[in-house]
Formats: sequence, structure tokens, C-alpha cells
Amino acid sequence: MKTMPRFFLSMSVFLGGWLFSSSISDQSKIRFPYKAAGLNERQAAAHLLSRFTYGATPGQIDAVVKQGLTKWFHDQLEAKIPDDTLTSKLKSYDSIELTNEEVLMIYPKQPQVLRMAVKDGFINKDSVGTNSEQNKAALETYMQQNNIRPQKELYRQFINQKILRAAHTNNQLQEVMTSFWFNHFNVSLTKNDCAQFIPAYERDVVRPNSLGKFEELLLATAKSPAMLYYLDNFSSAAGNNKFASKKKTNQQKADDKTAPQNDPLIDSLINMLQKVKKEKGLNENYAREVMELHTLGVDGGYTQEDVTQAARILTGWTVYPIQPYTRDTLRQRAQKLDRQGFVREGDFLFAANRHDSGTKTVLGKQYGPDQGYSEGMQLLQDLAHHANTAKFISQKIAVRFVNDNPPKSLVDKMAKTFLSENGDIKAVLTAMVSAPEFWAASALREKTKSPLELAVGAVRSLNATITEPYQLYNWISKMGEKMYSYQAPTGFPDKGQYWISTGALLNRMNFGLALSANRISGVRVNLPALNQFHEPESSQAALITYSKLIMPERDISKTVERLEPMLNDPELSEKVDKASNKMKPENAGDVMSSERTKKPVSNSKANRKESGTMLAQVVGVIIGSPEYQRR
Amino acid sequence: MLSRRAFLKSGGVALFSAGIAGSIPAFAVQAAAANKTAFPFAKKKTLVCIFQRGAMDGLMAVTPFNDTFLKTARPNLLMSAAQSTSDKPLIDLDGRFGLHPSMQVFESLFREKRLAIVHGIGSPNTTRSHFDAQDYMESGTPFNKGTASGWLNRAVGLLKDEALTPFTAVSLTSAMPRSFYGDNPSVSISNLQDFAIQMKGNQSGANMAAKSFEDLYDQTASGLLQETGRESFEAMKLLKTADLKNYKPEPGITYPNSALGNSLKQIAQLIKMNVGLEVAFAESNGWDTHFNQGAANGVFARNVADLSNSISSFWNDLSAYQDDVTVMTMTEFGRTVRQNGTRGTDHGRASCNFILGNDVNGGLVHGKMQPIAVENLEDGRDLAVTTDFRSVFSEVADKHLKLTDDKTLFPDWQGEKIGVMRDA
Repeated sequence: MKTMPRFFLSMSVFLGGWLFSSSISDQSKIRFPYKAAGLNERQAAAHLLSRFTYGATPGQIDAVVKQGLTKWFHDQLEAKIPDDTLTSKLKSYDSIELTNEEVLMIYPKQPQVLRMAVKDGFINKDSVGTNSEQNKAALETYMQQNNIRPQKELYRQFINQKILRAAHTNNQLQEVMTSFWFNHFNVSLTKNDCAQFIPAYERDVVRPNSLGKFEELLLATAKSPAMLYYLDNFSSAAGNNKFASKKKTNQQKADDKTAPQNDPLIDSLINMLQKVKKEKGLNENYAREVMELHTLGVDGGYTQEDVTQAARILTGWTVYPIQPYTRDTLRQRAQKLDRQGFVREGDFLFAANRHDSGTKTVLGKQYGPDQGYSEGMQLLQDLAHHANTAKFISQKIAVRFVNDNPPKSLVDKMAKTFLSENGDIKAVLTAMVSAPEFWAASALREKTKSPLELAVGAVRSLNATITEPYQLYNWISKMGEKMYSYQAPTGFPDKGQYWISTGALLNRMNFGLALSANRISGVRVNLPALNQFHEPESSQAALITYSKLIMPERDISKTVERLEPMLNDPELSEKVDKASNKMKPENAGDVMSSERTKKPVSNSKANRKESGTMLAQVVGVIIGSPEYQRR
Repeated sequence: MLSRRAFLKSGGVALFSAGIAGSIPAFAVQAAAANKTAFPFAKKKTLVCIFQRGAMDGLMAVTPFNDTFLKTARPNLLMSAAQSTSDKPLIDLDGRFGLHPSMQVFESLFREKRLAIVHGIGSPNTTRSHFDAQDYMESGTPFNKGTASGWLNRAVGLLKDEALTPFTAVSLTSAMPRSFYGDNPSVSISNLQDFAIQMKGNQSGANMAAKSFEDLYDQTASGLLQETGRESFEAMKLLKTADLKNYKPEPGITYPNSALGNSLKQIAQLIKMNVGLEVAFAESNGWDTHFNQGAANGVFARNVADLSNSISSFWNDLSAYQDDVTVMTMTEFGRTVRQNGTRGTDHGRASCNFILGNDVNGGLVHGKMQPIAVENLEDGRDLAVTTDFRSVFSEVADKHLKLTDDKTLFPDWQGEKIGVMRDA
């Protein structure tokens, strides 16, 4: 966090939840009732890994058993395992640590760059949109000379780091929870106004709070530029601010002694930088979604009137102008602003002159009058600790980690813990894992992997090397999860039915085939290395060996049973070809390749290549198999 | 509630033998056997929606050329309907409105009364943010961001079919559009040829893998994976029989080689295949014309040429299906009445849209657009919204797809329909 000027109300917020909470995270007190559910330790470890990581790496089940399941879980909750491998993989990404201010300087929006280039005489105003090639070149030169970089590079780096992080971080649970909370407090790259702030949003707002206190997480999202722009609260201002009028009676003036005076300069500066213009007025979007989607849930017992009142409470919650000129001007007036109740925290600004200072009532409780910034703080804290929030958040966590329809008994336990432990996320997760429902047969392998989980999980299963994460991003998009681009504030639906549709399913199968055959550039698998370079005796042996390697602790009998005939029956491939060739009778390539597969696989050098092809195909089918889509 | 998987329930189809080799999709056979629909190959009504992203300047597409205020407001953008000018003139539709000359192919459709225009259409929410306005238009709830579903997905939920097919709702886009968000089955795919098991340069391997996958999905214990797996292979084989790559439109018809042209061409293929397509979606980009918009020539002219030529090719390609197809365009808002300092236009309010079909009340410019004059402008700058987009969308959905449940389609809306469709 940036050093805050002394004259602003100093609200040094602890990015909460980091403090060790002994009653919760003490591993000696964690009990995993998996034996009662009929699971052995390895099976239990496999279940833990399926729930709290992006997929087990080869040998990881053994490692977790050796370490002890509760110790492993405890370390994951603490999320302090050194991450040297990841750090070195991220070294070449020079934009992922930029502050919002730096992002705006280096990666301005395209139209803004164009305007700057026109203003500086690099591009003729009249030629814009007509002479594209020449202008493109001029624009590039202009950007280079001014150290301006194209925005898509920022997003590319951001997406790349996420994929690498998911694949390689040792603190897997923290990353899984980061994805979970990002989706819960969704913002979207599709909204231009908030897009630039999204890398910092995930990095500074979501990840550090992902295993902390729900209240801190909620407050941090509420004050983030990404959310303020995404749900429009940045522009929300009192419709009839009594301070807006300059003509006041003496009595009013006496009443207003401590209250903010309208400062046209300040307001115009803020407006100018936030494009508020004429759209000023109350905006209810954030107030509605914070209740419907972030805290209470759609059936959380609030009314439209509560939404309107909450929106009034949150008027003035906006983004601190980030451009240097405005910052200087505001800094010069800081003392005065401070007295008037303005509050600055990093990129957040409470603009007291836009706040509705009247009395409001939400869910039966009165807020204000004239309490300014603290009204909003109080409201969000009240929402964070509401019983319906406890239920709603617990339900959502259980859906993510247990199954699409978690038992009420489990959700109730979690909600109880949520309330008694003040929304401590670690405690809620611990309560979940300590419950028999978590280990029940109805929870095992009952979740469908999202495309990100499938892609990264496959990379982890196969120990693949990623040199171009963006290639995986393209596949993940094709499979139906365009990362960071879900348009609606609901986030991606967390249910199997959403992910498994016809087109998406075929792409999952194609992904498996492409990955295992090294047809995804920038991602390399070494299948012989996965089996310590022991070449399987036969294609059947390969099938069994690799099924076990890729799907440890799973029932692979069905997969083997169905795939074995294919490998054994030299006639079958021919039949398949014939059948499919009925539509395309002339296909020499097919005949040749079916000849090839007819021969039994041996260890001779000549056959090594085709056995490699066959192995890749077997592995590809395993990755695309129904069993592998589940976790 | 629709039974999505009805066509799969009898199960046990010899997918491999009948599917790959045969050309009749098993789901069709089953649906027929179950007597669920009159005949599986019976034509479905199809609604094709085209979203023009970026906000089309409705006043340039369809210009009220008598409104003299435009002369001062748009010195570089206004075209004349008079024949004498050096540039191609506006196409005079009705003495008041002139169609952009690059949309010439629309003229005959308009004169034949198949093409209707609604002018002054837009959203009651005054936001001038592309994102917000598109979001509201696609969710169909202009004041509620949290609506999880899109209006076209809700439309799918209201279809009266006993059984849906994998192609009931298809978006020819790489990512699922907001309009399609929701629980009802829908597919987004930018290229139908991707609907296959692919191993580059190894067709035999791909066939083998496809067979393996089909077997595995056929026997899996997970109902969702099993059913979707079956559907996927059904759909895949069906498309395989169609030889998509070598598609030949009707003689004399050439689609523009553009994103929209390609999307509409593929929608035409699906319609001709009778695979049950009822809701289709495509996009057209590049309408955010802040700079040098042009007039008879230029960016805007190229855009409307692509739009109208794509739609017209699509329409003529479907000559045998025209009674069953309606095309509707939409855009998030219009643009400022006055041109800006860079000979373009900025974000405004109302725009216009186009509706094409044999049951459309065509040959008319609908709406209650006031003459362009200072006193009639919204916020002193924009063409005012005089027709709520939901009024038009719901009427088209109602008359073409027989979706009468406006409450589900547009939950917060109550209002009058304006007669853009003819009574059957």
C-alpha cells in the first residue's frame, strides 16, 4: 500500500485474516472423519487434492500421506509455503506488479492514446479512420517514444501469470480460493472502464484476503477501482445533496459547520477524471449487487427500498483521481478536504461532497444522518456479519468444494462457524472438512472440472512444461471459460451443467488429444518421462500404467475395459475407418494409418515412433474421458 | 419445463453403426418414434438476432432528410436524397426517411414489405456506456445488472417443443454472448467445422479417438456427461454428413467475406439441415464511429454495406425457408445528433433497427420519432428514445416464435407493442 498523506484520515487497514488464529488453524485440533466414510488415507489425500488444488501432480498423493493430511491442510490454509519455482517462472513478466497508477501511465486506453497522438501532432486529425496502415505505424512510433504499451499486453501478462500460478504455486488452496472469490466478487475485462484495474484487483484485493476475514474481503472489494467502476458506484452521488446548494440560511450554515462545502474545483476535477459528466445522481447497481450477490443472497430478506437506502449510504464512494495533476491539486487542498470528511485510502476516495447526508434505514437499522464515510463502513460490516450472509457464503463454498447440491446439514454447520468466528474463511473451510458430509460418497468426484481446472489439472497430471501459457488460455476459452471476461456480476455459474455442453465437451476431448500429442505449442509433455522412461510392455500395459498415473486412486477399470478392445482388436481401427470413409471413399492416408495400427506394438526401434503416437492417443483419450472431467 | 433430453431417453441407439454411416440423426428418429413432434424434420421457425456492437448511428443509416436541423448539426455527415448531388443520394423510402445508399439491397426488401425499420428505438436506461447498455439490452432488464440470464436464453426456455436438439440455440461467436447466458441449452461456436474430434493430419487416429470417446461417454455413470456426450456425437455426425466446408449457397449468391457474412452463412446451413435451430445469434462490429465516420463512403458506409449485403445474401440463400425465418438487428444505443470535432459522432440515445421476414409488417418506418429539432432532443443532444427495445423484441418473439410470456422474457416490462409484425 502506498504511503498515505498524513492529512488524510489515516485508516490503516490491516489486510485482515493474516493473523494466525490459533483456535482455528491449530492442526492438532483438525480431525478429518474420512475413515468413518470408508476411505483409506490415500483415498482421503486424493479427495483433498481434488478439492483444494488445481489437480494432483504425479506422486503428490504419497507426499501428502507422508506429510500427514491435517498438516498438509494446515499449511495450505496458512499459505506461506515458499514459491521459488513460481517466482522464477514469473520473472519475465514485468507488468504484473504494477500499481493502478503505473498501469494508467504505461497502458492507457487506445482512444486516449489516439487522442494524445493527434494532439501531439503525430497523426492528422482528418486522417483518423481513413488511412489505417500509415496511422498504425505512426501510432506505434508514438507509443514507443512515449513508453506507452498496448493494453492487450497487460492482459496477456495477467492471464499468463494466473495460469502459471495455478499450475505451479505450492500454495494451491490460496490460488483456488482466489479464483473462487474473484468469481464471487466478479468484475470483467469486457467492461472497458474497469479492465485496467483488474490485475491489481486480483493481486491486492482478492488474493491477500482469500483466506482471511470475509469482512475485510468485502470492504476491500467495495473500495477497489475495479468494483467501483464495474458496478458504477464511482459515479453515484446524492440526488439532492443539501450542500450542493450555495444559498443557505444562517441556521443551515450553523448546522453545517463541520459538513463539506461544495467545492466546484474539486468536483469538476473528480468528474473530469471519472467521466461522470451528466450521469450524476444516485446509482443503485452496486448497492443491489452487494446484497444480492456478495452478501445476503437473492432471498436474503431485503427489499427494493433497502437497496435504494443502501445506495444513498454509499454515495460518494468513488475512485481517487489517479492522474498526477489532479493528485497534486487535491494534495494542496488535502487539509481542508480532511476537515470536510473526505477520506482517502490508496485508490479509494470518499468524496464527502457527493454523499447523501440524510437519515437512511436498511434492514430496519438507521444509518446517519451526517456520519459520512463511516455509514458505508458500518453498512458493509453489518452485511458481512449478517446471518443470511453466513448462510449464503457457506452454501456457495460448499457448492464449490463438496458438490453442486450440498446437504443443508453441512451448510448449517459452516454458517454457524461463519458467525461464531466472525466470518473467518479458514474457520469455515475447516468446519467443512471436519464434517462427515465432506467425505461422503455423494461428494467424491461429484464436481465437474471447469475448463481452467481441466487444462491446468492436465498440465499438472502430466508434469507438462508451459512456455506459452496463453495457448492454454485459448483452449480454456474454447472450452467455455473465457477467463476474467464473464460479463455479468454473477460470475460463472458453479455447476456441472453449465460447463458441460455439446460444443464444449468435444473441445475438452480435443484438448486432451492435442495436449498429449504435443500439438499445443508452448506446452510440452514427455510421456516416457512420466513413467520414468520405462516403456510399457504392450499397449494394454501402457493403458493401465498411464491411467493409474493420470487418475490415481480412481476406479480405472471402466476406462481400461472400454479402451482395451480398441487396442487389441487390429480389425477395429479398420472398421472405424471404413465406416467413416463411407462418406469419403477415397482416403489413402486413412488406409495407410490403419495398416500401421494393425501391427502389434513391439519394442523395436522402428515401432517406437508409432507406439509413441499410440501412447499419446491413449493419454489424450484419458484426459478427455468422462472420468477425468470430474474431480 | 422443457424436457431437454427427451430425444435421448429411449437410449441404446447403435450410435456407431447408425450414426457414422447413416445420415439420419438418431435423436430425430427417436423423437419421431416417441411421436413427440409431428415430424422431426418439420421446419422450425427461426429467429436470427444480429447485435451491432459499438452503437450504430441510426440517423445515418436511416436519415430523416427533411429535418433541416441536421444540416447545421452534421455538415460533413448529412447526405441528400436529391438525385443531383455528385455522391450517391439517400434512397427515399417514404418521403421522410432515406436509407443509406450503401444499403441499396434493402430497398427491394422494404418495397416488398418484408423489411421493417423501427426508428427511435432504445433503452429506458440512459447510460451511454457500451458495456452497460449492451448488458442491459441482452439481459433484457435495463435497470438490473444482476439478472443471471439473457433474454434469448429465456426465449429458449419458453419454446413449446417437446424436445430440444443440440442446435436449438446457436450463437456464431467464440464466447457465449450475454443474451445466451442461462440454464437453457445453447451452444456458442464460431466455426461449425470445429464441431468434430480433431487430430491434425491423422484422420484415422481422430476416428479411433472419436470411437473411444463415444464408448467411454456412453457407459459413464454420470448422467450429465453421458447425455451430453451422446448429444455431442450425434451433433458431430450430423454436421459431418453435411460437408460444411464445401457449402454451396443458392446459385448467384455470394456472402460477403466478413465475420457477419460467415456467421450468417453458417446459420443458413443449419437452417437448411433442419436440425431444429430456433434461436440464432451473430455479431457485427465496428460501429463506434467517433472519428471520420464518412458519409456516402467511409467507415460507416462499409459497415452498412456489410450488414445489408450479409443479411440480403442470407435471405436469398434461404429462398425456400423464408416463411420460417425472421432476422432482427439490434444495437446498444445511437449516436449524438451533432457531429463531433473529429467528424464522427459520440454516444447518444436512440438508434434504429431492421426486422426482415415474411410475417413482418414491412415497408414502414415504425416508431414515434419526432422531427429533429433542438426542443425534441434528449438532454439537448440526442435522438430521444420513443420506442422501448423490449416492446419490439417481445413482439417479434411473440409473433414469430409464439412466445407470449412477456413476463418471463422481459420481467420488468409492461408496455404496448407497436405492430412491427403482421397479425397471422
